[in-house]
Amino acid sequence: MLELTGVRVVYGEGAPPALDEVTLRVHAGECVAIVGPSGGGKTTLLRSINGSVPIAAGTIRVDGVDISTLRGRALRRMRTHLAVIAQQHDLVDRLFVYQNVMAGALGRWSTLRALRFLIAPTAAEIAEAREALEGVGIAEKLREPTRDLSGGQQQRVAIARALVQKPGAILADEPIASVDPELGEQIVALLCGLARSRNIALICSLHQPEIARRYFDRVVALEGGRIA
Amino acid sequence: MNDALRILGSFIPPDLSPAYLRALAVPVAETIGMAAAGMLVAFAVGVPLAVIIGTRAPGHRLVGTVLASLRAIPDLTLAILAVVLVGLGPGAGVAALALFYTAMIGRVYGSLFLAADAAPLEALRATGASRIPLAAFGLIPLTLADMLSFGTFAFECAMRASVIVGAVGGGGLGTELIGSLNALDYHRALTVVIVLVALVAGVDAFGMLVRRDARLALLLVPLGVIALRLDWPQIFAFRHAVHTFAGMFPPELRAAQIVSLPLLIAQTVLIAVGGTLIGAVLAAPISLIAARRLAPVPVVLVVRRVLDVARAIPEVVFGLILVVSAGIGPLSGAIALGLHSAGVLGKLYAETFENVPDAPIASLAATGARPLAIAAFGFIPLALGPNVVHTLFRLEWNVRAATVVGLIGAGGIGQALYEAQQLFFYKEMLAYILVTWGLVALSDWFGERLRVRMGWHFVAG
Ligand SMILES: Nc1ncnc2c1ncn2[C@@H]1O[C@H](COP(=O)(O)OP(=O)(O)OP(=O)(O)O)[C@@H](O)[C@H]1O
Ligand SMILES: [Mg+2]
Repeated sequence: MLELTGVRVVYGEGAPPALDEVTLRVHAGECVAIVGPSGGGKTTLLRSINGSVPIAAGTIRVDGVDISTLRGRALRRMRTHLAVIAQQHDLVDRLFVYQNVMAGALGRWSTLRALRFLIAPTAAEIAEAREALEGVGIAEKLREPTRDLSGGQQQRVAIARALVQKPGAILADEPIASVDPELGEQIVALLCGLARSRNIALICSLHQPEIARRYFDRVVALEGGRIA
Repeated sequence: MNDALRILGSFIPPDLSPAYLRALAVPVAETIGMAAAGMLVAFAVGVPLAVIIGTRAPGHRLVGTVLASLRAIPDLTLAILAVVLVGLGPGAGVAALALFYTAMIGRVYGSLFLAADAAPLEALRATGASRIPLAAFGLIPLTLADMLSFGTFAFECAMRASVIVGAVGGGGLGTELIGSLNALDYHRALTVVIVLVALVAGVDAFGMLVRRDARLALLLVPLGVIALRLDWPQIFAFRHAVHTFAGMFPPELRAAQIVSLPLLIAQTVLIAVGGTLIGAVLAAPISLIAARRLAPVPVVLVVRRVLDVARAIPEVVFGLILVVSAGIGPLSGAIALGLHSAGVLGKLYAETFENVPDAPIASLAATGARPLAIAAFGFIPLALGPNVVHTLFRLEWNVRAATVVGLIGAGGIGQALYEAQQLFFYKEMLAYILVTWGLVALSDWFGERLRVRMGWHFVAG
């Protein structure tokens, strides 16, 4: 599913590379944890995979396609296959929960359909949102304003949004950094379980090596931009 | 002086006879229609332009520049241009308001979008969403509160502006006001001013409701559509407009006019600076008794209403009243600007005092300091930065307003512009419009740079 070969990222003229000689393969349904010190390059790695950070050398292939050849519409289409989950605060808190969840479908919907959904969602769309929320265990929050949810619940909404995207891979950047440890473990367990059962490749950066070892198939340590 | 007071006294009482109030129904409807139609167009065109700016779509720089230069033409100057191009009546008013407020909405919403919370937007982009869904699911809901506050503020401005575009022949209450002043019927003039204040207060109240339930803003649509339909034929008197516009080229001034240009510009700048000073000097003490933290609530409520009235009356209307009582000249112009500015600044200063952080004030109070000492050592220094920014913004606005009060004889560029229009010297008129545009653009640019330099960019929002 994901194939990185000799990837190098340099942020500024003369700066040390944020990623260097990074080679990594993740197949569908596999769960890989990225650990390492702050500044090690975890965020950079995840952002380079969906084309948000340009790479200076090497190749990144998603389903066999070299993403550096993609521009505009093609890049957007590729991104619909990669769901992103961030640390926190990446929901639009004024929208209802089901609207945030279905935002995961924006990449495959036409503009008109997206606008129509905001004004008049169909029963089928609501049902799809409900199903995704059932997957993360908070179906009852469907019609609540997102801002009324707790931090952990919001993180589950972000995961539900990722599921609606029907992705081939999920890129999660410290998804549990802002929730308490016990809740964090539940969320990691949920993510890995969903990835395996739906055959999604999962790359997840973490600061807790114990959790990484307990739940993931593989743990990769990034230090100074290199795989240690 | 006595004379002036006597004439001012002759405005009282207002003409509240049922017959006159009934006669006002049409101009009131015209004014509301003008504001609604102008704002409807402004939102319909301005929001998409703001999305272009906010998502840095191709061409966003060009859009930003065009909007900035449009905004540098004062609304009344646009109105004169519109009256010349499409003829007398509300159609001209709608065209002028639509243009001016499209530029305002586009620019301000564009910068709101640019400043929106980045994380949710990046998450949406990562789903592969294109620009319009990105705006609908992200930019707009993320900034809705600010969009609504600014939108209702802009609507309030448009309501006031729809009166002043009437003053140059755009129809509605402005035309009625000029008519009664020219007929020396001051009682009726006062009635018009009162109706105007009530209208602005109405918009203000409507704005509060919209901030509670955004869907109410949709009421603007039928109102605006009806007004647009009624004024449509006039707005699109296209051939006449093109013909007249062609007649304005090339813009030119006679040698004597070019020589007097620096004097006119100096007069305009003096009116603006004088008006801002008068406004600030009046507003400073008033704002202290208009802030809930500094004065008892009943006093605050009364003072706030007085400030509301001063804000609701546009500079030109103050100017028209001063012109008939105190006579014509730059001083009247500056006082007119000052009275309106006092209303605006008084409210803004008071809000700044209310927003001063608690902690430093509490620790001052804990030393046993008396109220005046707390004000001197706490509130005033803490509020100084934002209030300087508000005042500078007002000065920028007043450069526009100074050209506008020129139209009623306060002097400066505005007066020269208006005289050229009245005499059908369209080439001269266009030249003066260009000078006005340059002057306002220069003052905007200068103010912007000053704020960036001082790191005050976001204080006044
Ligand atoms: N936008 C940027 N511009 C310049 N340098 C950057 C940028 N983003 C990251 N860097 C640098 O690249 C290196 C790797 O940063 P990155 O954010 O990938 O680390 P990280 O492992 O995610 O750290 P953390 O655990 O703190 O999130 C750091 O030295 C950082 O300073
Ligand atoms: Mg990081």
